[in-house]
Amino acid sequence: MKTISEKILSKRSGVDAASGDIVTVPVDLVFAHDGTLPLAIQELGRHSVKFPKSAVAFCDHASPSPSEKVSNVQTLMRQFARTYGMDFYENGDGICHQIVLERYASPYKIIVGGDSHTCTHGALGAFATGMGSTDVAAIMAYGKTWLKVPETVHVEVSGKLPKSVHSKDVFLELLSRITADGATYKALEFYGDTVETMSVESRATLSNMAIEAGAKVGMCAADEKVEAYLAHYGRGDEFTPLYADKDAIYVDEIRIRAETVVPMIAKPHKVDKVVPVTELEGQELDQVCIGSCTNGRIEDLRAAARILDGHRSKARLVVYPASRDVLLEALKEGVLETLLKAGASIGPPGCGFCIGRTVALGDGEVALSTQNRNFKGRMGNDTSFIYLSSPSTAAASAIEGKITDPRGLEH
Amino acid sequence: MKIEGKVVRVFPSDTNTDEIIAGKYKYDELDLNKLARHTFESLDTHFYDDCKRLKDPILVAGANFGCGSSREQAPQVLKACGISCVIADSFARIFYRNGFNIGLPLVECESMSNNVTRGEMLNVDFGKGVIRSENQNAEYHFKPIPQFMQELLAKGGLMQYLDARGGFTD
Repeated sequence: MKTISEKILSKRSGVDAASGDIVTVPVDLVFAHDGTLPLAIQELGRHSVKFPKSAVAFCDHASPSPSEKVSNVQTLMRQFARTYGMDFYENGDGICHQIVLERYASPYKIIVGGDSHTCTHGALGAFATGMGSTDVAAIMAYGKTWLKVPETVHVEVSGKLPKSVHSKDVFLELLSRITADGATYKALEFYGDTVETMSVESRATLSNMAIEAGAKVGMCAADEKVEAYLAHYGRGDEFTPLYADKDAIYVDEIRIRAETVVPMIAKPHKVDKVVPVTELEGQELDQVCIGSCTNGRIEDLRAAARILDGHRSKARLVVYPASRDVLLEALKEGVLETLLKAGASIGPPGCGFCIGRTVALGDGEVALSTQNRNFKGRMGNDTSFIYLSSPSTAAASAIEGKITDPRGLEH
Repeated sequence: MKIEGKVVRVFPSDTNTDEIIAGKYKYDELDLNKLARHTFESLDTHFYDDCKRLKDPILVAGANFGCGSSREQAPQVLKACGISCVIADSFARIFYRNGFNIGLPLVECESMSNNVTRGEMLNVDFGKGVIRSENQNAEYHFKPIPQFMQELLAKGGLMQYLDARGGFTD
């Protein structure tokens, strides 16, 4: 009678764990990036990295480095990774979460990242959660961590999503119902035939956004789609099926009918100020951004290209593929050509615009982005305004230079 | 453990980590004392100076304080501003864990943000779970902080706590 979280934490802690228990678990992967690793290195102090093969460093946030100070911080990270023989990902390799999906995450793993969106890896059945630099340092030093077994909210999505409506819209719909602290300390688990038929990439969008409702993890079952995803990246041997028990106990259940979901948008400056796109149609935009750990995967770029094909963007259009693999795939398929012809500026794989460190908005400017957060100042300017949407809505809006409903515009 | 100090600010619900310390600063400044000058900059340009004028200033906030990113710079800059304790209706999960990990006391007390005002002197007793307001001659109660978390604060943070006990015990 266990949820997915309870199953993983019971197996890995060696005790029969239920929600509310505090367990000590080995950590299979600990990682941090240029925003969080430097502080972890300071905290680590005289300790060394106990299991360097389980620790990974990424230069993805302020990437490529926009200043000499950032470059010096990245030099410190490179030296640290080299000292211990850790895997290190350079500027341009991609966003930590996309690379962890492609190369590290798998069912039953315990993954801790020095980044709140580490919950992304629940899409592959890993118990993956974000922590701060001191927790990262403690895990590097000791190889373990404490976790409180979360209560679980069962999210049931059933039916067929309309054309040009995506998992991003499903999560924004959920967020509009439960708000930004609706799942604080809890696990979200995503079920239903809509989730079952979704690609792993679409599920990763759901899992990625779990933190925006305050959740500790965003779990999906590890099914044959997960098996195929791992096999695609040469990691088929890491697959183990993982489902919740039929009689698992949930603290709450939320049902969403996929057919009724419409393109949704979060308004500035809070992620849960969500309304249907139709309520904001005509809102003028200075910049449209497609990418991030939420929606920078190949299917997101494909969705944008299907709408942008043959058009020229009126808004400034910025596209950052989530990883080198995503960029290569977009190149092979001709997606990149379509985006370039539509006026997109293509950035190197990485976080890019999302945190305003290498692409910043001007005073009073308005952006629509496929990222996960629209906090005041998030994109580098306290006086700017950020709307959040799916890649299809972003692409349709880029063409018009105004917030636009994507339905009916897809080729 | 007890803390006494004046309320330096009362912030609303969903105050996020980008508001506490903007992302644009954290990639090139490792000196937390310098970074602290930008604390709450987009909301309130006098925050740092006002904190520095007070002895053991206390920050009060509504629900879901510290939501957003995992950046530990958020509790770190508050500590560097001299904040002795944050009292909120509730905290976001990662911020809560980060606060204790770096030795910044956090108190969850639902009734506080609507009841106290800036400048009020508060006395916080962590063991008993009581906040006393001298101005109001009133007491507010919260669930006492578990013993091991009080020890963590007493040691100055997680790394110091683990050093003292030789790591994690199962």
